[in-house]
Amino acid sequence: MRYGMLIDLNKCVGCNACTVACRNNNGTPAGVSLHKLLKYEAGVYPNAKMKFRPMPCMHCQDAPCAKVCPTGATVQRPDGIVDVDANKCIGCRSCITACPYDSRQFIWDFGDYYEQAQPTRLEQKRRLEFQKGTVVKCTFCLTRLQQGKVTACTATCPSQCRVFGDLDDPNSEVSRAIVDKGARPFREELETHPSVYYAGG
Amino acid sequence: MSRQAYRSTLSESAGTIHTLESMTSRWERIDPSDEGKTQVLHGICRMCMQGDCATKITLEDGIVTRVEGAGTDIPPNYGNLCPRGNSAAMNLYNPYRVKAPLIRTNPEKGLDVDPKWKEVTWEEALDYTAKKLKEVRDEDPRGLAICEGWGNRETIVRVPFKIAYGTPNEIGAHGSFCTVHYGTGLIHGNFPVSVVDLEHCEYHITLGRTIGPNFATVPGTRKLSQALERGMKLVVVDPRSSHEAAKGEWVPIKPGTDLAFLLAMAHSILFEVGRYDVWFLKNRTNAPYLITPGGDYLRDEATGKPMMWDLSDSTPKPFDASFGDLALEGSFEWKGQTCSTGFTKIKEGFKEYTPEWAEKISTVPAATTRRIAREFIDHARIGSTIEIDGFTFPFRPVSLNCERNVMNHKGGTHADLVGKIINMLAGAIEVPGGCLGCGYRGGAAIAPSPDGTMFPGYESHDRPFVFPPDLTMQSFYPNSHTTPHLTAAALRNPEEYHLEYQLKAWLNLGGNLIRFNAEPEQYIEMMRKVPFSVSIAYQMDEPTFLSDVVLPEHCFMERERLAPFWPQHQATSDEVSGLQMLQYRQPVKPLYNTMHVDDILMELAERIGILRGEGGVYDIMNHDVDYIIKEDGLNLREPYLLDINTKHTRQEIYEKQVLSWKYNQGETFADVQREGHLVKWQPKKTHYTYYYYPDNQTRHEFYIMNLKHTADRLRANLEKHGVKFPGVADQERDVFRFYNPVPFWTGSPELDDIPPEYDLWAMNWKSPYFSSDVGGCIGNPWLAEVYKKDPWEAVICLNAATAARKGLKDGDWVKVSSRYGSVEGQVRTSQLFHPDAVGISGGYGLGSLHSNPLYRRGPLFNQLITSREDTLDPISGGIELAPCVKIEKKEGGRA
Repeated sequence: MRYGMLIDLNKCVGCNACTVACRNNNGTPAGVSLHKLLKYEAGVYPNAKMKFRPMPCMHCQDAPCAKVCPTGATVQRPDGIVDVDANKCIGCRSCITACPYDSRQFIWDFGDYYEQAQPTRLEQKRRLEFQKGTVVKCTFCLTRLQQGKVTACTATCPSQCRVFGDLDDPNSEVSRAIVDKGARPFREELETHPSVYYAGG
Repeated sequence: MSRQAYRSTLSESAGTIHTLESMTSRWERIDPSDEGKTQVLHGICRMCMQGDCATKITLEDGIVTRVEGAGTDIPPNYGNLCPRGNSAAMNLYNPYRVKAPLIRTNPEKGLDVDPKWKEVTWEEALDYTAKKLKEVRDEDPRGLAICEGWGNRETIVRVPFKIAYGTPNEIGAHGSFCTVHYGTGLIHGNFPVSVVDLEHCEYHITLGRTIGPNFATVPGTRKLSQALERGMKLVVVDPRSSHEAAKGEWVPIKPGTDLAFLLAMAHSILFEVGRYDVWFLKNRTNAPYLITPGGDYLRDEATGKPMMWDLSDSTPKPFDASFGDLALEGSFEWKGQTCSTGFTKIKEGFKEYTPEWAEKISTVPAATTRRIAREFIDHARIGSTIEIDGFTFPFRPVSLNCERNVMNHKGGTHADLVGKIINMLAGAIEVPGGCLGCGYRGGAAIAPSPDGTMFPGYESHDRPFVFPPDLTMQSFYPNSHTTPHLTAAALRNPEEYHLEYQLKAWLNLGGNLIRFNAEPEQYIEMMRKVPFSVSIAYQMDEPTFLSDVVLPEHCFMERERLAPFWPQHQATSDEVSGLQMLQYRQPVKPLYNTMHVDDILMELAERIGILRGEGGVYDIMNHDVDYIIKEDGLNLREPYLLDINTKHTRQEIYEKQVLSWKYNQGETFADVQREGHLVKWQPKKTHYTYYYYPDNQTRHEFYIMNLKHTADRLRANLEKHGVKFPGVADQERDVFRFYNPVPFWTGSPELDDIPPEYDLWAMNWKSPYFSSDVGGCIGNPWLAEVYKKDPWEAVICLNAATAARKGLKDGDWVKVSSRYGSVEGQVRTSQLFHPDAVGISGGYGLGSLHSNPLYRRGPLFNQLITSREDTLDPISGGIELAPCVKIEKKEGGRA
């Protein structure tokens, strides 16, 4: 079993539902997001188009972040998910430098969601799940997976551009879709062997 | 803590004079009985105008920790949510909410003047408000205006309250920006707009609108994604290469010139492609009706019926006679006058609008217009049929759809209508694959009038001429949407507008006409002058900040709701067609000392004395019919009517609504509460109104006779009362010229004879983070984190070549000025914009002393536009949304 994801860029409309669903599900502090969506443009007027690239962690099989972690806080689980044990993380941020996909963030402090106001009830509660001075990252919504659900970004996507599942099973929906759509990892030449594949774009 | 004790802690600070800090720093206790519990509630999202996504709300220890789509098998969103829906918890936990009833102690009003709010008890606030409203009502109920808007579209008591109170003056805050309803009312008998059938469409042209990403997001995007995957071709005609343009062909067009493009496309179909759906035009439109030189139908002397020409015996016959060889085209002599068919009238009218002519106005290359016209007809499969649920329909898998950025211009109604004419040429109205109305899907939508054409529906049906006029001034704009700008104009010039009474009280209920209208200052001034104003409010928005009394309402997640499903606004497909459904929202316990909006209104009604008895709120509710979906809605009926002399809880009303529902098969309110929804699928064929009146049983207006008849009545009424059309210098030129049954290039004050330094045209659009500002999106910090990173949000977008020509680069501070106002902001150069466009998204900016700081940051597009009467579309009352502008660099950065 190796968890992986296909993102069909031909379907993505760049709405950022995924980014906000990630915050909604994971309760990350202000300024910290485990998911990002790159929006940019390509082409020259009048042949110009908006481009979108949603980016969870790539969950590389050959993960540069894990290699540089001096404490073993970053580990690759047998199911392929790259996770951080906050209790082992010393906040050296070597992994942030090593990650070519900018998938990791450091919790310097707990900022407040609302400006010039007290932290909300929700963030007061969910801050307890995070530790200052540690690195956080996407875990493919591990808790949701344990409940038999797919990742929050996959479940919420209005364009249904994501397929999530087992890359080790050639008959899984995600494996078949990767083959059907000729999907490739982003910046494949880095040879980190990501578990996230992109089609179209 | 008991429920009662819990409630009492909520009002223990009555009497406090609040500062911003004392209001935002306040968090109420969590109900201790919820500690240690995990609860899951059924939700209905309200982070956009559509407001129908089914959600699941998880609470841990009484705190909402997650809001997600209800489930992959639950319509209409099947488990998906958009960015706004995903941010809903921040709508609940918003420290800038209004948390208790407030009364102003500082009489001076301004967006930067502290009202010195005094916190009061609910009893005090309701008694005081009701006393004031009763005084106004006793004198003249018309003295009250109720301003509704996106902040609350869920109340079921507002309209009955208005009727029971006796005021005709209900004003939608935003309607002058949303004049998109005329063509859909006339051609589809529907409201609010028409949409594409993404189940079957193969070639879709969209102009000045979003199919999904920038509006309700989930319903449109889901269906668009599926349609693109099965190969539908998408053409996006827009000054901006938008989210959906990324998925299809982008045809850049100069802002505000869509009418020219549409006229040229129709011209090309008629004169160059030369193919159109003759069967549809002959059998389902008034195109073959004979038109007299005066512009009226030639009528049969005996029956009064409009006539058509039979070529087989060269005589006109009533439209419902049998014809040997019906003429679609031509001019014919009859009893000394030459009559042409409606088709010929339109064709002759469009003769001059060649693609080359349009290119000079719109910049769309003539060859592109020709190609699109040809492709549209090629894909229409004229003559083909499709069987759905055993019923044979014409199959026309093409649709052209226009919205706000096409219609909100002077002449915008004509653009709307030319769009309809193009769809009619392809036979693609109300049939599978084509252009469909998105509201009421019953047969009455297209039922024929005695003239054989369907009755004009909704706003295309001119309102009665009331004189002296109401504050809405809709006597003069009988087909308008909502008209706050005309109310403001009339209050400034009561004599010119023949206003015979004064505005004495203002009830704000979700409307924000300061931020979401032209010339914000005029509304600030109006609110300063009104003797009494009250706002039923979620947060301290601009009109609430200027009010005398604030009645704080629950946020949407705290607001219990029972709702029927309304067909969706941007697109349809089999995911929702035929769906009749009730949805239920279990309320989250209120955080603050707020009330449910409908409880507030019923409490006020009781105190004013208009809740019970004949003509009271309950009596009105017993007779109310859903405005959008009519008999499919939650209309009370025997034997479940309310006893009009007994006070009812909301839950008692919901129970009776469920029992009264047309599709109920024995279910109770408790069943809906338990499941969160009650779904009753109807056959797909009933979603296409062709089904109810097939073949030649009803007809759409191809020749727009409704405009002429409306103008005739309006002119007669003005003459009868001896008055001129208010606010314009020349009523023939500025108004009546537009009521022409043959749409034409009207010209525009923003395009013709403008000073040369105004060499660009501003444009505005919704975004995934800002969809009509429902849900307070701009102030939502989760959305703010995303929109601040979006390259094209909250900046001033300029085509890169245009910027270079002006010596501007990314990040430069600039001032953009129209002839009516100006905004400042930072430049974003881009290849995604037409070289003549200045793009400013969403509704950022303005705010007040007590608002979330996010609301104070611009640029606010609306400061560039005007509601001057001679710039309005005289039929819809719509505001021109593409003002000509100039752009100047602000040396030294931000002012």
